[in-house]
Amino acid sequence: MQPRTLYWILLFGGLAFLCGCDRLPGKPKEKDRWKPPTEIKDFAELFNTNCRGCHSNGKTLGASISMNNPAYLAVIPKEVMQKTIEAGIAGTEMPAYSAKTGGPLTDEQITILVDGIYNWAKGREAPTDNLPPYSAALGDVNHGKAIFAQDCANCHGSDGAGLKGKGGSVVDKVYLSLVSNQYLRTTVIVGRPELGMPSFRDDVQGKPMTPEEISDVLAWLASHREGPAPGQTAPKGGPASKTQTSNPIE
Amino acid sequence: MSAKDRPIVSSLVNVAMWLERRLHLVKVWKATAGHPIPKSSASWFYVFGSMTLLCFTIQVLTGILLALVYIPSANEAYRSLEYLNYQQELGWFLRGVHYWGSNCMVVVMFFHMTQVFLWGAYKHPRELTWISGAVLLVLTLALSFTGQVMRFDSDAYWGIGIGAAISGRIPIIGAQVVNLLLGGPIIGSDTLSRFFALHVFVLPGAVIALVSLHLRLVLLKGINEYPEPGVQVHKQTYWRDYEETVHKDGMPFVPDGIGKDLVANGLLLIVIVALAVFVGPKGPEIPADPAQVISEAKPDYPFLWLLSAAALLPNGSEIILFFVFPLIAAILLFGLPFYSNVGEKHYSRRPISVLVVILTYLTIGLLTYAGITGPWSPRMEAWSGTPTKPEFIAGRSPVELQGALLLQGKQCRNCHAIGGEGGHRGPDLSAVGTRMDQPELVRQVIQGGGNMPAYGNTLSPQEVSALVSYLVSLRPQNTIPALNPTNPEKTERVSSGELPKQAKVGG
Ligand code: HEC
Ligand code: HEC
Ligand code: HEC
Repeated sequence: MQPRTLYWILLFGGLAFLCGCDRLPGKPKEKDRWKPPTEIKDFAELFNTNCRGCHSNGKTLGASISMNNPAYLAVIPKEVMQKTIEAGIAGTEMPAYSAKTGGPLTDEQITILVDGIYNWAKGREAPTDNLPPYSAALGDVNHGKAIFAQDCANCHGSDGAGLKGKGGSVVDKVYLSLVSNQYLRTTVIVGRPELGMPSFRDDVQGKPMTPEEISDVLAWLASHREGPAPGQTAPKGGPASKTQTSNPIE
Repeated sequence: MSAKDRPIVSSLVNVAMWLERRLHLVKVWKATAGHPIPKSSASWFYVFGSMTLLCFTIQVLTGILLALVYIPSANEAYRSLEYLNYQQELGWFLRGVHYWGSNCMVVVMFFHMTQVFLWGAYKHPRELTWISGAVLLVLTLALSFTGQVMRFDSDAYWGIGIGAAISGRIPIIGAQVVNLLLGGPIIGSDTLSRFFALHVFVLPGAVIALVSLHLRLVLLKGINEYPEPGVQVHKQTYWRDYEETVHKDGMPFVPDGIGKDLVANGLLLIVIVALAVFVGPKGPEIPADPAQVISEAKPDYPFLWLLSAAALLPNGSEIILFFVFPLIAAILLFGLPFYSNVGEKHYSRRPISVLVVILTYLTIGLLTYAGITGPWSPRMEAWSGTPTKPEFIAGRSPVELQGALLLQGKQCRNCHAIGGEGGHRGPDLSAVGTRMDQPELVRQVIQGGGNMPAYGNTLSPQEVSALVSYLVSLRPQNTIPALNPTNPEKTERVSSGELPKQAKVGG
């Protein structure tokens, strides 16, 4: 072959390579293309950017309760979940996400989130017998104290102030000033299995707590709180307004 | 076979001769491309000048092609770049070549100037050659800068912001210059039009004019002979000696002296194309939106050192960075051929010059490296999206867990990593419990300090208490928390400033 022919082949081959090959590393990829955050429709991406920092998705651990817990999804009604994400929980770190309240997510995205979360329980639904209601008024404090001694003291100590190596204090004033009564109720019902806290069925072997016992134990816990319980007033601001006002570099 | 037997060839020769009789092309050729150079200057070190010119040519060609699609309006600019990236066949490649061509031009030009400096080529009688080159450096940086604005994304905002910050510090006329630059008090469509006009008309025009002058001077004053240690430049004798050398021991640049330039330029071309193919164009990142402060923006490579310098220097030193420093640098750069006009040329006899080069490269290199890896910008989504590794959650008491939630919710995570994950603007907090005791932690959170905001007004006492109890728990298992009231140095932590500087840099 003449050298000149070789050059032409190289030149056109190179050009064809450039045109034809879609997989050149430098070619911008569709997935890296910037999208307005409101156009993200992928459940995993929505959950991982908005919720994973605080709630487990089943693969990570969160400081707040896991969303990937069939027992939890059996007890919380879908509308409540939707409302909670939209409006957040006032006085706690749970932000309001609805664009209507200044949050970053559209209604459609919140629906995708809720559906996606409930899909986690598909095929491994938790039993629904004896299930206490998701929310209820507080019960009787004195009876609650007795229930605590029976069901919880093993791990949290008879005064609730914690047992080393088993469970921390649940009567700590600082703790109680930062969590809502509903959250306390939720954790007593579904537990924190990922941290070793049993659900209402397993606090005492083979004897699930009754709805009354749950409300009573919560009344006793709440009686240790000084000041108002979070989660009572209407939510203010959303994470978006939050991001802006407390933008650390502004 | 002679030309007479082939009618096409002979008529072409006739046309050529007709043109030659009118344009005297042979003479022009001899005076330019064929000008004699000293044999010693056909060196591998002398190739950077022509490489810079190649970069500029590439920029002009790709720039014209880009201008066919690019629409310089705030609403359309971003879309036209997306069109190039995702729809137009090889549009991304064109953008890539223009982007990397620009970066390479700055780098190669820097090498060129280093070589000219170290080889003493700026000395008598080539003062003006150096000065025109220095102006070209400024123009090239300005082109690179205005080019980055063309993307009109979050990075462009950073660029305009810093440009406004620098111009705003010019005494007396600062405010007017900013107004002129932005086309009004705010960054908008007018700003983009102005930068576009600068980028495609004014600056390239100026570059072409100066390159002409620069090349003219190269022809008039000759190419520097390869210096030898011990040989001094004297104003009285230099030119006579040089002409003699060229006469006795010279050769025409084309074809005898151009070989190494051709090879080097071929390599450069391959490098630029390879960068475009394998790394690709930059951005466009998040669209510019005045309502959204995107602090993760980064400028292009030639200005990264500025970003790190701005972040590293103590508060209040912007006036030095943006005004005093450029002024001194300009005086040193432009004055060079006057305060160092004669004497030794060879670098082995000019230790101070070598030191200056080493220091300059180290400073710019390290600052650029810091800018690339630099954690100056917080990660804006860490607070809601970055999970905490199990070992930093498990075994915590309920109140400590609330502290962990506050660390997310109050966006501490945007600046602080735990277990390496999260922002890196502040220190990783994985083991902060071994470094600081409770009072120190409370003070740090309430008063901030360094580049950390103070949270005294935004956190309730309970929130501070929960946060700190979590921070105290952040230490390897079986270690005791820090407790050192006896160590005054540790308890009396002094904070060196109050606000992060970036906000001011970004305008
Ligand atoms: C900054 C941390 C944080 C983020 C991010 C966060 N949450 Fe929460 N979330 C909390 C806290 C804290 C609570 C408990 C508040 C309380 O009631 O005391 C909570 C409570 C909830 C509850 C109600 C729990 C109950 O008591 O039944 C739901 C549902 C929930 N979050 C869903 C989400 C979803 C979905 C996302 C993402 C869109 C999200 N959260 C993002 C911190 C967060
Ligand atoms: C088997 C041991 C065990 C039992 C029994 C138990 N807990 Fe817990 N509990 C834990 C552990 C472990 C945690 C995780 C936090 C910690 O380690 O302190 C926890 C956490 C909690 C929390 C805080 C949850 C949060 O996310 O903030 C509450 C409230 C709580 N328990 C209440 C109760 C009550 C009320 C009972 C009795 C009905 C009870 N626990 C029974 C082990 C237990
Ligand atoms: C804008 C970014 C930023 C944010 C947001 C931020 N910090 Fe900091 N933080 C820093 C920087 C920078 C330092 C280093 C300060 C210095 O040089 O003294 C620091 C230091 C600290 C330290 C001392 C660490 C050590 O090893 O010296 C602690 C503890 C701390 N921050 C906690 C917090 C908490 C808690 C929050 C949220 C309430 C928070 N930070 C929010 C930037 C930030």
